[in-house]
Amino acid sequence: MTGDERMEPLERLLNLVGLLLDTSSPFTFDQIRETLDAYRADNVDSAKRMFERDKDQLREFGIPLRLVDIDVWGTEQGYIIPKDEYYLPEIEFTPEELGALLVAAQSGGENTRAEQAARKLLYGAQGGVLAGLAGGPLASGSDARSALVIECAEAAQRRRRVAFGYRTSHGRSGERMVHAYAMVYRGGHWYLVGHDVDRDDVRAFRLSRFTSELEDRGGGEDPPSGFMAADHVQAGPWAAEAEDRAEVEFSPEVAWWAVGSFAGARQTGVADGGWIVAEVPMAEPGLLASLVLQFGPDAVVRSPDELRDEVVRRLEALDG
Amino acid sequence: MGERRRVTPPKTADRLGRMLAIVPYLVQHPGSSLDEVAALYDVRPEQLRRDLDLLFMSGLPPYGPGCLIDVEVDEDGHIWITMADHFSRPLRLSRQEALAITLRAAELLASPGLPEAPALASAVRKLREALGPDTVGHDDAIATAEAGRPPAHLDDLRRAAREHERITIEYFAGSTAEWSTRDVEPEEVFSAMGNWYVAAWDVAVDDERLFRADRIRAVTATDDRFEARGLEGAGRALYTPTGEEVPVRLVLHPAARWIAEYYMTEHPVERDDGSLEVTLPTARLDWIAALMLRVGPDAEISSPPQAVVSVADLARRTLARYR
Repeated sequence: MTGDERMEPLERLLNLVGLLLDTSSPFTFDQIRETLDAYRADNVDSAKRMFERDKDQLREFGIPLRLVDIDVWGTEQGYIIPKDEYYLPEIEFTPEELGALLVAAQSGGENTRAEQAARKLLYGAQGGVLAGLAGGPLASGSDARSALVIECAEAAQRRRRVAFGYRTSHGRSGERMVHAYAMVYRGGHWYLVGHDVDRDDVRAFRLSRFTSELEDRGGGEDPPSGFMAADHVQAGPWAAEAEDRAEVEFSPEVAWWAVGSFAGARQTGVADGGWIVAEVPMAEPGLLASLVLQFGPDAVVRSPDELRDEVVRRLEALDG
Repeated sequence: MGERRRVTPPKTADRLGRMLAIVPYLVQHPGSSLDEVAALYDVRPEQLRRDLDLLFMSGLPPYGPGCLIDVEVDEDGHIWITMADHFSRPLRLSRQEALAITLRAAELLASPGLPEAPALASAVRKLREALGPDTVGHDDAIATAEAGRPPAHLDDLRRAAREHERITIEYFAGSTAEWSTRDVEPEEVFSAMGNWYVAAWDVAVDDERLFRADRIRAVTATDDRFEARGLEGAGRALYTPTGEEVPVRLVLHPAARWIAEYYMTEHPVERDDGSLEVTLPTARLDWIAALMLRVGPDAEISSPPQAVVSVADLARRTLARYR
């Protein structure tokens, strides 16, 4: 190939990576120009400009292209890609693990970066990976903007202090300042868990309720010892470990579904007409009343009285 | 690729990334078929062949004495690569890539009853250990809450979808509180917002239906196979309008604002007292009535009048159980 022939940028970039990765001593620009046809073209200045652009592109791409001193006096510098910084460390994945990573990367909608990451890991794959690919994505993504998810996750990984606008589930808006501890995923939602500076307490913030971008406010703090991020994201309003029990009857039509929908509930008997009697862990009466009432005439509270009274009171208010 | 402005035009960057990932695979798997590699790396076979041809048409320049990378695609479509030892392992995962895949794994691990969960969890653990804190930061920073109870018949449903087998299901429709037995052809089983769904062809109605897996009480095999129609799975809208919806205007007080986050609502208007007005289109007024019973004093219907009537009616019928 002659020097003045225009080369595809892709080929040129790959050649440059290969050259600087293979060498054990740094290459000066002049040496690179002597070795690679692509930079022999035109005059030195334009070749130099092209090289500078390529170098930036490779660095942008995450390739550790370093400029180092060639001699101890530092009078001359050269380029090299250190092998230990470039290469992915050896990781021995089973075919099942690689398959699972690929499925995860493909789930949740478009995300080139996750798929790119998974594909880098495939190189050592033994058989069976292709089989794991069948069936397509398994899960839809979260309800949060993906850029915000990434920013919050980085803040948690690097333990930053962040500020953002937030609207609570009850609609109160305000500014929050938080030491980011961790991200938790639950039920289709991402939460940022951290130390809320103004409230001086650990709180969870659902990303879909952020009303602004995330602002970095400097270094944060480590979570207290024994911190478990998931404990701070409520499992819904339900306390399945409550000792008190309510007794609720469900019609045969809804019983299977209804009993299963109350965590910790269990069937205790059968009443007239095939109605199912169930014990349900007691919660705050207003809350439990609302959960029972979603089944309309297919659910009836037997006890305790305070729950029964609450249900009747609510129904009377609605029966205009 | 991301939201940051890039210096490299996307096409070159994408192709560079792909080649830096594919060449190591080719080095490790001499004689791989072009089609197999293309499928694995999600690239069209023609594009892969073009990239390989272009890159190695003349061979890469010598890096050292006698060192010349060479690639050949033989007549059977097998790829042979030589002297590419310095590309025998891929580039490290960037911080953003490691983060992206860790987040995706955490999302998937939140799906209850996922058979792949143990493999996925151990893969992520290995990845974190190998990449180290410089790349992944504090490794306790991304967590998944306990996934909850898996649907009873998840395995049967996934198997039927995989093998294209028609099945009979007993299904509880939440909107009507009624049981039905249906013959369905399940094509996609996926998890969304913490629940598993089945996208299937309902044979009797001759139309597509979306079923929640945890409301399927029984699955019976039929041994009949079906032709997949390409129904959409993960990522699809969970509610498809039928065209027969009635727009119901609601006033949601703070404790009932979750309705606007949970269901597909339109035309939100914030009010000064912290409540929110929204329109919830629904094909079933009795479903809205049950929702209103649930939220009680925390929401009101402002229109249409027949929706208000249906709430009062349902309340009266429920109250009758207590008298």
